[in-house]
Amino acid sequence: MLSFLWLMLIKSAPLVYAALGGVLCERSGVLNIGLEGMIAIGAFSGVSISYATGNAVIGAIGGVASGALLGAILGLAATRFRVEQIVAGTGINLIALGGAAYGLVIVFGQPGASKEVNALGPAGEIAMVCLALALAGLLHVFLYWTRAGLHVRACGENPRAADVAGIDPLRVRFWATTAGGALAALGGVFLAMAELDLYSDGMSAGRGFIALAAVIFGRWNPLGAAAAALFFGAFEALQFTLQRTGIPSEFMQALPFVAALVALAGFAGRARAPASDGIPYTRAR
Amino acid sequence: MKLPRGVRDAAIALGIIIVFGSLAMLLAGVNPLDGFSALLIGALGNVQETAETLVQTTSLLFPALGIALAFRAGLFNIGAEGQLLMGGLLAGVLGEQLTAPGFVTIPILLLAGAVGGGLWGALAGWLRARFAANEVIATLMLNYVAIQVAAYAISGPLKSAGGAGYETGELPAQSWLPTILPDTRLTVALILALALAFFLRWMLRSTVVGYQLRAVGDAPQAARRAGIDLAKMRFWTMAASGAIAGLGGATVVLGVLHRFNLALSPGYGFIGIAVALVGELDPLWVTVAAFVFGILQNGAIGMQAAANVPRDVVTAIEGLIILVLAGRRIITRNGSD
Repeated sequence: MLSFLWLMLIKSAPLVYAALGGVLCERSGVLNIGLEGMIAIGAFSGVSISYATGNAVIGAIGGVASGALLGAILGLAATRFRVEQIVAGTGINLIALGGAAYGLVIVFGQPGASKEVNALGPAGEIAMVCLALALAGLLHVFLYWTRAGLHVRACGENPRAADVAGIDPLRVRFWATTAGGALAALGGVFLAMAELDLYSDGMSAGRGFIALAAVIFGRWNPLGAAAAALFFGAFEALQFTLQRTGIPSEFMQALPFVAALVALAGFAGRARAPASDGIPYTRAR
Repeated sequence: MKLPRGVRDAAIALGIIIVFGSLAMLLAGVNPLDGFSALLIGALGNVQETAETLVQTTSLLFPALGIALAFRAGLFNIGAEGQLLMGGLLAGVLGEQLTAPGFVTIPILLLAGAVGGGLWGALAGWLRARFAANEVIATLMLNYVAIQVAAYAISGPLKSAGGAGYETGELPAQSWLPTILPDTRLTVALILALALAFFLRWMLRSTVVGYQLRAVGDAPQAARRAGIDLAKMRFWTMAASGAIAGLGGATVVLGVLHRFNLALSPGYGFIGIAVALVGELDPLWVTVAAFVFGILQNGAIGMQAAANVPRDVVTAIEGLIILVLAGRRIITRNGSD
């Protein structure tokens, strides 16, 4: 039982990180389809920088920074340049996944997977699992109990009103998306450097989209999204056990997406997105 | 007015390709001139390669046209990948069983593809019309449900004797799409796609339905006051959009692979979004954009083989083009009407 719980936490942690990143972005009004790419770039950069410096912690920090950079690019595109967020997110995914696959050849001289590098080890794994859970609580406190959190939510619900009240929605959205990218990249760092010690092509394996599903199933709320991520992670951990009972593994892999669709359609309580989620904002002159 | 912007966009895209492509080639230790010539020779160097580029063009054009149609109605269909897969699945599973002359089976199987994709699109349309579910998220989630449904079907209840792993057995040769260039994989699918593009352009510009569809996209409030049933229009547009993508899936099965394979699409449905938007959602320019992306897709293979530049760099460059060019057009979104 204890070993199952641990396995569940390991499978959930990357989803929790990415889902928290997604909640932060969407609460500010930016629908971040690029979570998948941000996970991948965090994983790849973390491993590459650890390979170059020989220091796992510097690698992990670099991985998070690369996610923040990608988040900043999406943030700039979505605010200053008023690019369609969904399209921009799709572009971010292609840049990150294509870039990481190309980077493997450039940095490690081999396609498919990196060499093994200095990673965070078992202690780092435990620390990062705890950090994921702690961040869920912290983000909740931030969004609901602080002034800055109120500003973020205001920009996601009614940016015009926020603007009138003296908050710059473009600025808030930019920083929320940058931080969201860093959070998603933490998920990638966990995958590549805590659970394993290398990056391989396709490592993100759709986790960015499962995280998006967790955001919806968790009703755009940090604790809810984290709980949904734990729930989806539990199914991933149970996969081998459930397979023996005859339930096809495809059903379990489809579960997060079906759950999100069900929540979206309003069964079992309506899931309501922030009112201005995904809608570009133009400041009145 | 259209042309200058198109020319400017082409110049921007070309600039991105040259600057970032050169950078990536230099990092890989390759002279950009060698790299780009390998890419061009790989895409258009001889009849064989040109045909293969046109095969890629065709496979991108179908989902892109479906996406463009939905976007014109203000519906953000990012589920073409799943719709394409479902169309291919139905065509492949049925095609393996059907043994009749080609002039009977081919139309049936193409129709099956359209039905498969259409149903998958209609599902999102229904969620939107019935439950006001955001179609962006619904279509996105349905992509991943589609993969699992297809994986389950193909390895479980619909598993065929000739199939192995996540694919069906080979389709009978009479059900293969006829090629239009001997010794290549270029089939009548290209003609079908071009005909569809012209039809859609005509429909959008010159028919009542096309006008209504654009009205729903551009000014939903006004469209409703004019008596257009928004929910109905959106449902059928999503279904049609999915059907076009599904038809594309069927042409990949019937014309390129001659079987259904779970990995039949290397992201046609996602790159198709870029093709549709770079083409300004106008079927004519979408066709041109599909050809340019076809060159990139196919040229990348030649570039990797001849110049040792990892082909994935093309994916990243496509992403950049999407970010810079495709996102600029703000689609009128009718979230609250």
